[in-house]
Amino acid sequence: MSESFVPKILVLATEKCAYPGADAVGKAHQEYPSNVHILRVPSPVLFPEDFYLRSFSKGIDAILIAACGSDCPYHGAYEKLAARIDQLTDRMKAGGLETERIRLTAICTVCIKAFLKEIALLNEHLSRIGPVDRALAEQLRTESLARLQGTDQLEALSSDARGILV
Amino acid sequence: MSTQNEFREEPGCEVEQNDPARIEAQIAAGQRAAVAPNSSTYGSDDAALKIGVYICRCGGNISDVVDVEQVAETVKLIPGVATAKVHTFVCSDPGQHTISDDILKENLDRVVVASCSPFLHEQTFRGAVARGGLNPYLYEHVNIREQASWAHKHDPAGATSKAIRMIAAAIGKLRHAVPLEQIKLPNHRRALVIGGGIAGLKAASDLAARGIQVLLVEKAGELGGHLNERGRVYPSEQDAAKLVAELAQRVNRDARIEVRLSSQIKAVSGFIGNFKVQVESEGALPSEVTAGAIIVATGFRCYQPQENEFLYRTDPCVLTLPEFIQLMRSTPDSARHLTVNGRAVNNIAFLHCVGSRQLDGVHEPQADGRLNTYCSRTCCTTILQQALAVRRRFNKTGVYSFYQDIRTYGRGEENYYIEASKAGVVFFRYNGEEPPKAEATPREHARRGALSITVKDTLTWNEELTVPVDLLVLGTGMIPGDIADLIEQMKLATGEDGFLQEVHPKLRPVEVAVNGVLLAGTAQGPMNIQETLSAAGAAAAKAAAMFAKEEVELNPFVAEVDQDACCGEAQCVTQCVYEGALRLVTREVNGELVERAEVNAGLCVGCGACVAVCPQRAIQLNGWRLDQFDAMVDGIAEGVPGQNCAQELVQIG
Repeated sequence: MSESFVPKILVLATEKCAYPGADAVGKAHQEYPSNVHILRVPSPVLFPEDFYLRSFSKGIDAILIAACGSDCPYHGAYEKLAARIDQLTDRMKAGGLETERIRLTAICTVCIKAFLKEIALLNEHLSRIGPVDRALAEQLRTESLARLQGTDQLEALSSDARGILV
Repeated sequence: MSTQNEFREEPGCEVEQNDPARIEAQIAAGQRAAVAPNSSTYGSDDAALKIGVYICRCGGNISDVVDVEQVAETVKLIPGVATAKVHTFVCSDPGQHTISDDILKENLDRVVVASCSPFLHEQTFRGAVARGGLNPYLYEHVNIREQASWAHKHDPAGATSKAIRMIAAAIGKLRHAVPLEQIKLPNHRRALVIGGGIAGLKAASDLAARGIQVLLVEKAGELGGHLNERGRVYPSEQDAAKLVAELAQRVNRDARIEVRLSSQIKAVSGFIGNFKVQVESEGALPSEVTAGAIIVATGFRCYQPQENEFLYRTDPCVLTLPEFIQLMRSTPDSARHLTVNGRAVNNIAFLHCVGSRQLDGVHEPQADGRLNTYCSRTCCTTILQQALAVRRRFNKTGVYSFYQDIRTYGRGEENYYIEASKAGVVFFRYNGEEPPKAEATPREHARRGALSITVKDTLTWNEELTVPVDLLVLGTGMIPGDIADLIEQMKLATGEDGFLQEVHPKLRPVEVAVNGVLLAGTAQGPMNIQETLSAAGAAAAKAAAMFAKEEVELNPFVAEVDQDACCGEAQCVTQCVYEGALRLVTREVNGELVERAEVNAGLCVGCGACVAVCPQRAIQLNGWRLDQFDAMVDGIAEGVPGQNCAQELVQIG
């Protein structure tokens, strides 16, 4: 890996747990590399698959989904999120995009060590696998959108027509 | 605040709202967005935006690491940024005035403040923005203290470029922002108080005094709760039963309070201002009541020692603290000593911390696997009060206290310790890891006492001492009430100790995460009567404050359906678990009946589970739209093009 490569890491941090958790890291004056950018989210369950792929296509090298885990304030949201990320990981794997670029974890409001560990781990992965293949990510994003649209068209057909199609 | 409603329309948006051409264009735009959400479709008219960026030094907390002047100079180059200013404390009055003055003078229509965590000052700056006459949701907060200067102290260049990128991201988000209004819902001016102990009675009586209708639901057949069975309350030494009876009488006589005894809550739905509650009373059919606020005053349970814990239930000479208080109350004034199991009590041992401050590996967990690691807070003073009472009533009776720490923390409570010491109560101190042992005395020595208590006394340098006594009183404390159903129905949060949890002990006491629900008293943890009354008073005051308005105002961060883009496929509806929050409705569009998704803003919690599945991107979370997130990612990925805020500056540590 060329030494000039400095990856960009995006952290999607839940408003109730991981975002205050990241604040706690700063309050404790614990340091982590400044290539980490944290966005506050009510729950990452709101993101469609193509959001992640789009981010990769824009040059984000890795995404840490820092959720609330079992402390999730929304009923069933964490389970849905986990299933969605599983599916995304499968798609990335099938499409040839390194799955190390995406991580789902639970970070609590005082989980300083866990936060630092996750960041260190992602940077370690990235120093090994290098920059994201933006063109490949863009291709996967287009496919993902088409899939979303395709389902849409299937659903829109009458059940008879769908029977013929399937 | 009326200026909020008169938000300046951007040029090009002056077309009649229901112009068919515009609607068609919107539908087309919506579909395009669905195919290629990469290209944003509205709100990105850079030339029309006037953005104000305010960067805080935080008195050096930020500026010692982040080069705030460079940040200001760089972000000025972002299209649309009309002004970028550095201030030592943006949160100060002059700092806030700068924002509101600039909005008025320079016609700013978006504001960014880069300072501390949004949890500290997001609301502050929303207020400043609103005072300038701008919609408070056209504001973005950037955290460059907790998440930049403090976290990258040894990387000032990296922290500076990160600050620039995060501000670029916020500006991107604001380009897609629309003015939002708080959600206003009708407010039913009636409170439901669950629990008729001293906390519930106090809350109900305080609410009624403010002219609010109250429904008080108590599961037992009488009001008063635990206090009906207590002796005298410390530190005032009033009769507990009398005290609570007076309060109950006040409640019963108040026409504004309806009391339902032997009643339970069966179901709770709805939201602040509009809760629907099923109440079932003994021998009656369940009825539904509407309440604007709910006060949970369900109290505590007394810790019951486990089978054979300190010989409890094995030996009749072992009593819990509440049982001992009953014994004291039922012993006639003329008696010269207490009598237990037919024998005179010459010596009593009080053992502190039974069922409280439990340690892993020392104590047996409860049936649910939990250890009561907390201090029950009221038992020390109660024990000392009782010990002193014994010494004063029966001066021949020896009293021994076995304690870990004496926690007589409240006003006037330390006097019980001082007086008990003066009155001849003998103290032994044990280490929590080696609690005293209780044994039945062999029959041949029974004259000296029915039980012997052995303790490693740290006051005498761990000397092992054995004290023969006729009665052992276990200083049992409080455990959470049996309210699993209520917790589930109302989606309440509990702490590790099993008691209900408030949102924040200092910033939002007695409030829970569910708006409109408040906690009063020991439902939230061990408290003495004074603290219980304070909490109940606070809950009543907060409920009354909610009722001061005709309408309830909620944050606007809920899902909203773009009715023009929605195709009625209802994929979103299948994702929603909150009953009634998102459903399909039939409407007429161009003479045709079609199905469209519709959000009930009062029931939507804003989780966003529905957003990800819509092929049309027709359902979005207000304030957290997907195009806003895309724009933020772009800001982070690109920074300010051509400027020295590229990632190359960053060194990985």
